[in-house]
Amino acid sequence: MIPVRRVVALFLLLQLVSTGYLWTVNAIGTVSEARFAVFLAVNLLSFSIVAYIYTHDKWGEAIARGWVLVGALGLVLLLLSSLYFS
Amino acid sequence: MTEARNGRWGRLAAWFDTRLGLTYPLLRPAPRYSINPFYWLGALTVVAFLIQGVTGMMMMLYYVPSPSDAFSSTQYMIQSVYYGRFLQTVHLYTAYAMIMLAFMHMMRSYFVSVHKKPRELMWVVGMVMGFVTLGFGFTGYLLPWTVVSKSATDVGIGIIDALPRTISSFLTFLIIGAGGDATELLRFYDLHVVVLPAALLVLLTVKMYMLEAHGIAEPTTGPPIDQKASRSLPIFPDVTVYLLGLAAMFGSAMLLISAIFPLSLPPEYSPQLAAQLTAQPDWYFLWIYQILKISAFEGLGLPAALGLVTLIFVALLALPFIDRGHSRRIAERPIFVTIGLIFIGELFLLSYWGLESPGQVIPTYEAALLIVAIALLVGDCSFALYTVMGARGAPKPDSEKVSKTQGRFRTALAFVLLISGGAIAIGASLNAIVDLFLYGTSASSLVQLGLSTGFLGIVAFSTVFFMYRMELAGASLKRRLDWFEIGWSANDSR
Repeated sequence: MIPVRRVVALFLLLQLVSTGYLWTVNAIGTVSEARFAVFLAVNLLSFSIVAYIYTHDKWGEAIARGWVLVGALGLVLLLLSSLYFS
Repeated sequence: MTEARNGRWGRLAAWFDTRLGLTYPLLRPAPRYSINPFYWLGALTVVAFLIQGVTGMMMMLYYVPSPSDAFSSTQYMIQSVYYGRFLQTVHLYTAYAMIMLAFMHMMRSYFVSVHKKPRELMWVVGMVMGFVTLGFGFTGYLLPWTVVSKSATDVGIGIIDALPRTISSFLTFLIIGAGGDATELLRFYDLHVVVLPAALLVLLTVKMYMLEAHGIAEPTTGPPIDQKASRSLPIFPDVTVYLLGLAAMFGSAMLLISAIFPLSLPPEYSPQLAAQLTAQPDWYFLWIYQILKISAFEGLGLPAALGLVTLIFVALLALPFIDRGHSRRIAERPIFVTIGLIFIGELFLLSYWGLESPGQVIPTYEAALLIVAIALLVGDCSFALYTVMGARGAPKPDSEKVSKTQGRFRTALAFVLLISGGAIAIGASLNAIVDLFLYGTSASSLVQLGLSTGFLGIVAFSTVFFMYRMELAGASLKRRLDWFEIGWSANDSR
């Protein structure tokens, strides 16, 4: 099983990529603005998962894989929904 | 803490550190048990306020607060400015979220008795902050100058005339000034972007100071706090990172909602269009709107309705001085918890009803019937829940042991509630059935039938449960009468 801590790198990478993408968007109109909102949401959700893992790891508490999985699923759904706004 | 530092830059940094206290622990650490989103609803409300501030300041770059340009500048922002619609949509939904979060924060604080000693004034300040938040909603609603927002605001302003003369004169001066659309819009804009934010910031500072003084309240449910749960976590970086994560999750939810439901502007205000429209306030004022539409409060009864709404707000403000019991545990506060649940039930009922019946005057008997029915339904459910929890061996404090007099009173009260609830449920069910026969099948009559029979079922279940709890079901008539007379005593294992 993949250690949860290593997954953090993936979320950080996703944040980096979404930040880069956000800089390229000049949003005007419902479609491009919705896409901007979705990628900003991806960015924020990735950060909240990283924050969850960081805090619980620092406090020496078990990191609930279920919550991380739910977050990851949310990210996948957000990324898929971005296809709708294109 | 400041440590001895070498070199010019080190000494300079130490000088600033000594004066500004940058490395001093400014905020008290948070206990581990507070790492729970429910403890940070107030913080999330502040996050929503900050988002409002940032998006609002950006919108101020384009918005023109005059009746001739307000709508066109808003429309221009949506259609021609990069991220214009996005900013307005996020501003709108975060405003809604701010009001909802403030309400949830208030109700959570009520249920876990945060308003009790020594945090009474924190509650009072928090309630004033809640009123300011509603003020944000009221003033901000007018600014786009759409037919919907202007009509609803005019109705709201018209109600002020029904208040006592001194109050109405002051409020009229404050929000309308000398009169006229231009002054009205400018006053609303000033209140929205200067006065209310400043007031909220001052109140927030006062509340944060009191929070620092009293700390975070201990939990009122679950097992006693052990050493692990009560250990302190430093505000930085631990709690800060946790809060940022929570705020990020909230922000992503807001963004998703904004992406799915982008703002679309109703038509611009004009007296002709307004005449064709039934004015309706935004969702957070619908419950007041519905109270004002009850036929008993029409015309001359309006001051009485406003008095009732004022009384609700005053009761909320003065709650710490009304609910003076020492216990903070939910299990030991059945009456106040039930009142809180009924309050939420009534708010939802009146808001939904107000949304579904714009401009429609509500007959007094119908309003009384539904308001009492909801109170009975929620009261019965709460009563049954407390009884079940009590029966399942929840700790019973000394304050719950009842005397014979109290027992008699409770028994009588329970029977009155059940009988009146049953009567209302039977009446409403029959009414729905007659409607079905007379007017044919319709969605509303089916919903009414479903709700009333469901309510009847709950009342029947509660009655049976109550009878069994009192061991009445298999007993003789004489014993039943005896039980009815004495109620449950201190020795009864309720």
